[in-house]
Amino acid sequence: MALVNLTGIQPTQYTELASDTSPAEGEVVLVPFDRLAEESEAFFQTVGRVGVLVGTETTFSALEPFANKISFVAIDFPAFGDGRGFSLAVRLRKDYGFKGEIRAVGNIIPDQAQFLMRAGFDSVEATEERKTAFETALKRFPSYYQTDAIGLGQRSVAHVRHSAKNDDNTDAADTAKEGQRKAS
Amino acid sequence: MYAYDTYDHAIVNARVEEFRDQVERRMKGELTEEEFRPLRLMNGLYLQLHAYMLRVAIPYGTLSSNQMRRLAHIARRYDKGYAHFTTRQNVQYNWPKLSETPDILQELADVEMHAIQTSGNCIRNTTTDQFAGAAADEVLDPRPYAELIRQWSTFHPEFSFLPRKFKIAITGADEDRAAVKWHDIGLVVKQSDTGEIGFEVLAGGGMGRTPVIGKVIRDFLPVSDLLSYLEAMLRVYNEQGRRDNKYKARIKILVDAMGADEYARQVEAEWAKIKDQPLDVPEEEVARIKAFFTPPPLPVLDNDVPTVNAFADKNFLFKAWVSNNTGAHKVPGHVHVTISLKPHGGIPGDATDAQMDLVADLADKYSLSEVRVSHEQNLILPHVAKKDLPALWEALDAAGLGSANAGLLTDIIACPGLDYCSLANARSIPLAQKLTERFDDVKRLMDIGPLKIKISGCINSCGHHHAGHIGILGVDRKGEENYQLLLGGSGAEDASKAAILGPGFDEGGIIDAIEKVVAVYLGEREDGEEFLPAYRRLGADVFKEAVYGAR
Repeated sequence: MALVNLTGIQPTQYTELASDTSPAEGEVVLVPFDRLAEESEAFFQTVGRVGVLVGTETTFSALEPFANKISFVAIDFPAFGDGRGFSLAVRLRKDYGFKGEIRAVGNIIPDQAQFLMRAGFDSVEATEERKTAFETALKRFPSYYQTDAIGLGQRSVAHVRHSAKNDDNTDAADTAKEGQRKAS
Repeated sequence: MYAYDTYDHAIVNARVEEFRDQVERRMKGELTEEEFRPLRLMNGLYLQLHAYMLRVAIPYGTLSSNQMRRLAHIARRYDKGYAHFTTRQNVQYNWPKLSETPDILQELADVEMHAIQTSGNCIRNTTTDQFAGAAADEVLDPRPYAELIRQWSTFHPEFSFLPRKFKIAITGADEDRAAVKWHDIGLVVKQSDTGEIGFEVLAGGGMGRTPVIGKVIRDFLPVSDLLSYLEAMLRVYNEQGRRDNKYKARIKILVDAMGADEYARQVEAEWAKIKDQPLDVPEEEVARIKAFFTPPPLPVLDNDVPTVNAFADKNFLFKAWVSNNTGAHKVPGHVHVTISLKPHGGIPGDATDAQMDLVADLADKYSLSEVRVSHEQNLILPHVAKKDLPALWEALDAAGLGSANAGLLTDIIACPGLDYCSLANARSIPLAQKLTERFDDVKRLMDIGPLKIKISGCINSCGHHHAGHIGILGVDRKGEENYQLLLGGSGAEDASKAAILGPGFDEGGIIDAIEKVVAVYLGEREDGEEFLPAYRRLGADVFKEAVYGAR
């Protein structure tokens, strides 16, 4: 598996914690949500950095108790058409101010790269063959029709059109870059 | 009309390049059909029974004459010389080659058109009143807000993989010609007592196999909050709409399951959290878009034109056409003209390349180069001087576009049906053709009066049978095409669901049954009473007895 970096963050190196195993002291682990919910206190006392693996079906409010304690989140897409994962990332950023890495894992296709970045994801787990396609797709659209509400600093073309210092149209591409920079 | 700036051009051109790349990857085998499917669908490319079908967006049904000419050119160059206008105010090509579709999209992009989000589980083309900006009964022009929604919904990062397709309709007139109550979200433009512009917001309407009429979830939403409120509505739906069963995935099922009040409560709660974020566009942007839709500079003319009256007196078909196919315009001495794409015996909604070119030329000559598409699958010239009607009609009639049946029994909505569609159980087009041949008498049609027949070839109800005064639903009965008869639906401001009258019929039987329904109406109606009010007053039984005999 390869990792596609959407926002220029330092990607987390973690171990996916197998069931029935306990993490070593200081180990960076990814824990399935159910297990984290059951054994939360133990984890946060003993382990180094903890990330949570959630399915797209997870209700965002279920993550509230952990939002300040976890340092990264992996959202697992069972199918690339399952758009709940996008709202989940938006909610983490917007409702809980989550600043850590959000990674997309599971069934994702390259053409979703820019959507993922704009919804608050930092990285995508992909096959080696698809890495280039992801990186191409990430640069596809020069500007956006939406402003984000999650602190990425992406301004819609509607806002760019009317901002004083941007009264020509030359900076459409900058809007996209700005969004990527701020996310990092 | 809205005109693209460099941003719009750049985005649409980038989309063409993206799709070209996707098609190439598919043809090289780098994308599986399963992976390619949602990508092509979001560019309007379907795989139907016999071939690919490309659905091109006509945003809120508004076209320039140049765009219409380009549609004609595409029909000629890439298809079999015709195109099909749809109930979503879009246009479909039935025979494009996969390898040529990127070129078609580029041809469209060059005239500020696209096929973005005309299919797939995303926000589709926003539809509106075909007479927007023209009709005398309009309170406020809905098109600037439809354009705002078009831009906001285009490539929305969070809402491009919804549980199911999502349709928004908006109207600004007293008479609802956009069927807003039958949409996932319906918006009615309103002005508050203080002069502020805003919307009544409806949610959870839809047809398909579970017809539901939308419910009001907010009486007045200021225009400055439109996009943040839509964002909240979509987020609640995206998170909670069902994904386990595609037939229960539309927002109507969610709103019904949780209750409209609870849905509204959750939307309001989410909106409260985001309304102060810069999700909504600046006031200057609303003003910029509105400036594209300022009322056209039409001279005030006399409403009574003796030359037109004289021509009507000696030509009954012209007189009938003026009576049925034209309507009151905001500016005296003008009308909006409906060009019927329902010639008796023809295919509802189809137009040839030559007809499209002609309509473009006539729009240049008589209608400030503007054309509209209605959800009833007709074309509209929105701004025509009454004095020009005889010349316009003669030109249309010579090209087979002069049918005087707008709003009458033969102005039938029909889905493509089993002739094209892989979902259909029965054919819709031949039935529409035979029905129009049976009722091929304009005098009789005018005596019957306004009557909307809508035909769907399967339960997915693309032909809007639930909203037909008379609805016809094609079903499969042990391998035979069978047609159910429904009565009493409405897509207008008095929206209602049509009810099945009784057992289904074969193709000949359904036409005979409609004859009987019409006969009951003609016999029972009171002075000036139209079909739908008569049905509502009389109830189903008298029709049932006439159609099925006394039991």
